[in-house]
Amino acid sequence: MRRTNRCVSFATAVLAVNLGACASFETRETKLQAVKTVGIISAVGDEMSFVQAGLTGLNNPTQSLPIRSWGLDDLIVQQATTALSGRFEVRPVNYQRSAFAAIKDSPVAPVNLVRGDPFKQLVRTEVSPQGLDAYIVITKAKSNFNGSRKVEGIGFITYGTVLASYNQIYALYEIRVFDGKTFDMIEKRAASPLDNSGAMKLPGPSQLVDESFAPNPGNPAQNEKLHTAIAELVARSLPSTLSDMHLAAVR
Amino acid sequence: MRSPVQAGLRTSTNGGPRRIFLAIFLASLLAALGAIGNVTNSAFAQTAFTLPAPPFELPMVPPVSGNWTVMVGIGGEYKPDFEGANRSMLSPVPIFSIRRAGSAESFRGPRDSASIAFIDFGDLRAGPAVKFVASRKANNYPELNGLGDVNATVELGGFVEYFPVDWFRTRAELRQGIGGHTGVVADFSADFIVPVYQGFTVSAGPRFTWESTQATAPYFGINAIQAMTTGLPVFNAQGGAHSYGAGAQISYRFNPQWEVHSYVEYQRLLGDAAASPLVTLRGSPNQTTVGIGASYSFDFKIR
Repeated sequence: MRRTNRCVSFATAVLAVNLGACASFETRETKLQAVKTVGIISAVGDEMSFVQAGLTGLNNPTQSLPIRSWGLDDLIVQQATTALSGRFEVRPVNYQRSAFAAIKDSPVAPVNLVRGDPFKQLVRTEVSPQGLDAYIVITKAKSNFNGSRKVEGIGFITYGTVLASYNQIYALYEIRVFDGKTFDMIEKRAASPLDNSGAMKLPGPSQLVDESFAPNPGNPAQNEKLHTAIAELVARSLPSTLSDMHLAAVR
Repeated sequence: MRSPVQAGLRTSTNGGPRRIFLAIFLASLLAALGAIGNVTNSAFAQTAFTLPAPPFELPMVPPVSGNWTVMVGIGGEYKPDFEGANRSMLSPVPIFSIRRAGSAESFRGPRDSASIAFIDFGDLRAGPAVKFVASRKANNYPELNGLGDVNATVELGGFVEYFPVDWFRTRAELRQGIGGHTGVVADFSADFIVPVYQGFTVSAGPRFTWESTQATAPYFGINAIQAMTTGLPVFNAQGGAHSYGAGAQISYRFNPQWEVHSYVEYQRLLGDAAASPLVTLRGSPNQTTVGIGASYSFDFKIR
């Protein structure tokens, strides 16, 4: 009898906690319903990484190559504006792109949880005009690759094996939505892999390519094939990511 | 090697029936793999189902929305009945994991404990590790009759692993036992990881284990009462270098869904573990584990 009472008390407590939680935390859908005006910030595409992985020599650090001239962030803002215009009024915003691009996660995971989202402060201080209902921030996403490397943002990987080598381009980015009044993050989502993802697993849009797409180490921006392929990767994945976040029309 | 899965198919003492069991098991796996070939391309990169968004989200907890990959599978492990035994047993091993879709699977050795990297520089990772060591029941094996049971143990601790290059991993684990043994266990391993072809990887490397007296004695010590009931001499097992060995594994991913793997781990007991009468008179210091498995991965989405 005492045991039954204890079970009932426990079940009641669990139910109360659940109901309390439901009451305390608005869903992102509820929060988004109130949003009318948005500003879009993009800080993904000033640099690309060139990674040689798999069976490699002893010294193969990831190289960073400048691609600012491609104007990928402008493309991202333009594509996102098009995708969001059906639901929101998108207003142009000014911001310091390098400040957003410079934010790095700590390698110590609990530190990231404790310190909160550093983009929140940047949206409050570095973006004008203030006062829009929400700000959509698109930045580089980071991932482990092959167990031993970090890859982020835009990049090109050459993966060597005993019998062959493979080349893959990727565009890893994540999208945050911040409330324009409280600057609390309403939602965060990383772009998902596309259906034709390459041989090497990456948690975002990627595609197998041939050797002719390899960046020219001196001036990677000169490789127009690479530029076009990366731009297509972003253009194909952005609407579906925004749709997954219920920001754009469902595909 | 200790493993969490103990329930298994017992084989008899001579090698023939054991080989037959293993052959049947391997044939079943191969038959399953044959069936795999017929369906491999049907579900490429599609989400199997979509779950609704959770009714609320908690602060400080990353949202669960997005695509997830689930891996399910079955394997078999042919390993010594208990550590120090000279007979082996075939046991089923379930395979299950869940992770964000597309996230790269890190290299994992068969002896690695379950672990989470709280510190992650890419080439250097560290964090907590936990291993479950199943109980050793004396009445399950005739060699142990008269020796006491050793309860199941949870070993809690941490790991550090470092990749000086993509194709070489070193790993160390230090764990404190709670339960059946209350000692400290340290595992060291190194693996050369050679990608042979797309999806086909071979790895191999040396192993070394150190155990404290409290971790060694419950399994290899023989007290006066046990000596009387078993006929074995009294043995006061001390800690120290516990074993050295080597391991190798191959894995082949047919496509994003299907993967098969196989491994062999050899361990040579050292010190008092090897000198224990349980090993010298009724067992063997040579411990070999062979494993094989197949897994299927599918994606699902949480809105």
